[in-house]
Amino acid sequence: MRILIAEDEPVLASQLKKTLTSEGLTVDVAIDGAEAQYLGETEPYDVIILDLGLPIRDGLTVLKNLRSGGNETSILILTARNDWTDRVDGLDAGADDYLTKPFHMAELSARVRALIRRKAGKSTPVFSKDNVSFDTRTNQVMVEGIPINLTSQEVAVLSYLFHNSGRLVSRTELSDHIYQHEGDRDSNTIAVFVNRLRNKLGSDLIETVRGRGYVIKAIT
Amino acid sequence: MTSLRARAVTGGILWAVAIIVLGLAGLSSYLASQTQARFVEVLETRLSQAVVAVSNNSATTTDLESAIGDLVYQVPYSGQYWQVENDDGAIYMSPSLNDEQLPRPSGQRQGMTRSEISGPNGEPLFVIAQWISVSDGSDWHVQVASSLRRFEEEQVVLRNTLLTAFAFVAFVSVLAALTQVAVVLRPLNQLREEVSGRWEHDDGLEVDSYPIEVAPLVNDINSLMERNREIMRRSRRQAADLAHAIKTPSAIMRNELEMLDMSGAGVQDATDALDRLDAQLKRSFARMRADGTDAAIGVATNLDTALGRMERAFTALARNEGKEFAADVAPGLRVRMDQSDFEEVMGNLLDNALKWASSKVNLKAAQIDDGLIMIKITDDGPGIPKDEIPKATLGGQRLDVSKPGTGLGLAIAQDLIHAYGGKILLAKDEDLGGLAVHIRLRNVPAKRTD
Repeated sequence: MRILIAEDEPVLASQLKKTLTSEGLTVDVAIDGAEAQYLGETEPYDVIILDLGLPIRDGLTVLKNLRSGGNETSILILTARNDWTDRVDGLDAGADDYLTKPFHMAELSARVRALIRRKAGKSTPVFSKDNVSFDTRTNQVMVEGIPINLTSQEVAVLSYLFHNSGRLVSRTELSDHIYQHEGDRDSNTIAVFVNRLRNKLGSDLIETVRGRGYVIKAIT
Repeated sequence: MTSLRARAVTGGILWAVAIIVLGLAGLSSYLASQTQARFVEVLETRLSQAVVAVSNNSATTTDLESAIGDLVYQVPYSGQYWQVENDDGAIYMSPSLNDEQLPRPSGQRQGMTRSEISGPNGEPLFVIAQWISVSDGSDWHVQVASSLRRFEEEQVVLRNTLLTAFAFVAFVSVLAALTQVAVVLRPLNQLREEVSGRWEHDDGLEVDSYPIEVAPLVNDINSLMERNREIMRRSRRQAADLAHAIKTPSAIMRNELEMLDMSGAGVQDATDALDRLDAQLKRSFARMRADGTDAAIGVATNLDTALGRMERAFTALARNEGKEFAADVAPGLRVRMDQSDFEEVMGNLLDNALKWASSKVNLKAAQIDDGLIMIKITDDGPGIPKDEIPKATLGGQRLDVSKPGTGLGLAIAQDLIHAYGGKILLAKDEDLGGLAVHIRLRNVPAKRTD
């Protein structure tokens, strides 16, 4: 899952990135409104965390521009202002949720995960298929109730496929959602991660549609 | 300071009194002199008649009486008299003297003399006398007299008539002054009504609809209103900038503390201190906002717009939490409150309701009578026990720490509502079973279209 953090305060942006990355999410950072809008328009993010007080172009304008351009990415606005008017402006302009500074990092990551789940049309935080379960809150994967250790890339691939279960996902789409904007993208490595997941979780979980991609069929 | 109306009326009355006094004095003096001249002229004519009669009929008294035959000389004490005497001391007089004599001539034989004397029965008389020589060589003293009492009575009647006429003129003048004052002051009265009316609305006054004398004042009032709004906007912007400047570093510190906490370092005291700092900041900014509402004159919020925004925002937030949000807002309502303050109140209250609701939050707004609008927010959460309601609105008192928050939402809403003269009441909602927040605010009639 790819997240864009649009935050001009470098320390806070770095803290956010560190936290979300540690939770298996792929994070890009934009330090001003113009960059945020450019990345939002050109990269397939799953969630955009948008500070309203951005330099060059304020967050509200970025939000309106993205929505008017047909971008439907889930957007969580961050505001340091007290006014409800700011939050209502944001929600009215198409934001999906808001968080006011200062906030608890745990609350932020819970909101981000909830937005990802809702976008995927999933209401529960734990996805299960056959004997495999995946807890989106902790990234904990279990087979027959036994915890399985996965690398962060493996978690990223599994999480994206679970969130998009029932839908065919191409290698390109997968790499778009697990690599950073300026990261080294190699769609061949996706096949490597999928093979490792099959070895660890069983070969039935992820199905390959030859030449087109992968799918996790209906989950509970 | 004395009112313009009182000044104008007092000035008008003083002016009318001055004109009446001067006019009355001048006119009555002129008419009195005219009357007096006429009186003397008539008497001189009577003297001429007597002189002619004496010249022709000096021989006998009977002839004189018939020669000066005016009827007024026949009636006793009629006020009109004549008396004639010759060198020999023979005296002839009008029957009206009833045998009482007018004063005898003094030694010197001057021409015509005029004098005022006391006549029969003490009656004041004006006398004209003259010595004449007739053809037989004898000298005659001829005098005619007329009562001044009647003349004075005529003067009194004349003065009274004039006084009545001038009193009427004075009355009409005062009425005219009052009418003029009303006409002149009408634009000012209109201005006063419009200023208090427009305070309730938003736009400035229309300068073109006032006379050019009042237009500069109208311009000044418009500038003052705009300046007030600008002061409020600027102070809010500064407060918001300050909040922004403080909160981001606070968020950074909080995150560092959380990471230290996860690594096992003891940071509870520091976290508590940061919590207090954040809560205090929030409270202070809310207080600054409530205090700043004094400058919020001439503001009104259209509930169609403001609650429409709230409805869209909270429908999205409720959906995030898998809850239901429903709004029922009567169209065309306006409250005397700055829109951002109103949204601050509604945001805090709806946020609280959504946080505590099990599945449902309702918002309702309606006009309950001419001057009042009732807004009701209800939820199906646990509500607040009756005895804890006062604590809930104190601020900083979290009744339940199981959910995140500062416990300031209700207090902030209450401060703002009170600042605008509204009322807020917490109760148990009979329908949904949770908390019901009732807000009463003054209605602002829709802006006039004329």
